[in-house]
Amino acid sequence: MDLDNRPNEGIENVPMQQRRDFLKMGLAITGIFAGGSLLSVASTFNRAHASDFAKKYPFKPHYSMVMRQDRCIDCERCMEACVKTNHVPNVHGAYRTTILEKETPDAIGGKREFIPVLCNQCNLPQCVRVCPTKATYKDKSNGIVMMDIKKCIGCLTCQEGCPYNARYFNEEKKAVDKCNFCIDTRLAHGEKQTACAFACPADVRVFGDLSNQEDRVFKLVHQIEKQVWVLRPEAGTRPNVFYTKG
Amino acid sequence: MTLRTLITFAAALALTASAALAATHGGDIVYEKPVKGVVFSHKIHVEEKGLSCDMCHNRLFEMGKVAQDKADFVMESLYQGKYCGACHNGTLAFASNSRCATCHIGVKGQKRLSNGDKQEKKGH
Repeated sequence: MDLDNRPNEGIENVPMQQRRDFLKMGLAITGIFAGGSLLSVASTFNRAHASDFAKKYPFKPHYSMVMRQDRCIDCERCMEACVKTNHVPNVHGAYRTTILEKETPDAIGGKREFIPVLCNQCNLPQCVRVCPTKATYKDKSNGIVMMDIKKCIGCLTCQEGCPYNARYFNEEKKAVDKCNFCIDTRLAHGEKQTACAFACPADVRVFGDLSNQEDRVFKLVHQIEKQVWVLRPEAGTRPNVFYTKG
Repeated sequence: MTLRTLITFAAALALTASAALAATHGGDIVYEKPVKGVVFSHKIHVEEKGLSCDMCHNRLFEMGKVAQDKADFVMESLYQGKYCGACHNGTLAFASNSRCATCHIGVKGQKRLSNGDKQEKKGH
């Protein structure tokens, strides 16, 4: 059967369960032919590979972080350092960075993973798109998603827009607060690393300039031996925080 | 004596016995230095894996002393075969430089342990 010359009948009528079953196999249904008896599928494996997101580096420096996830031990020194450096109030739910925990009881060997998270400094930040007062914006030189707290009206639309739960309302500032890669508290003073990366004893958080080919983050992202991924790629925000293992 | 009281009595006895056993085996040790939230479970090592006391005491760990007070109680020492590294070398047990989060239960795991394994309250 000549598939190339058959009309694609469209995937609109493929049942959700069937799509899911294929997604579980790492395949996405891209077409349906011959009255639904033939499906064309494409691999979704590596779709989230960093190079897709990192083809162009519009900023100089293009700040980025790579998490070597399997090394995280939840000692929370990063969180302590962040709180101290950036004056994050000691209130439940207030954080610029935190650590998630994922257990896989059926796994062979290690069963627990810790996943450090922070603002992904997205190239297409939803928070910026939805902010009604332009209080949050993408810095034109280094790509950090910044807050202009004078403009923030506390409507929390940005929180709704953020796929990464990276924003909280700071009662002291009367504005939304978020990670800014320590641009004001450390980088502006000549420090080369964020507080969290500097505090990490396990070398989990690698901070650097993705536009510099000599930089460690560039080298970690631009290789194919170890898989690199981003969180929630389906949100389409093109994050600048990458994850890897091994 | 009814059957029910007999069962209750037996269950109570078993509970006390297991509690006593856990106590004699040293229970869970949670290290906080040099990093927070590292667990050693006597239960897993003695009861489940069947190690005898003299395999670690007092050659690797002095009984009654806290290993974390020693300056060389760091991962590098383990890689050289000291402390946990005597067995956790990839041959006898999983290597010290793998499966980090198995022993490093973290601040979250430590909190869970001290809450008596109670389920954390789920936030929104």
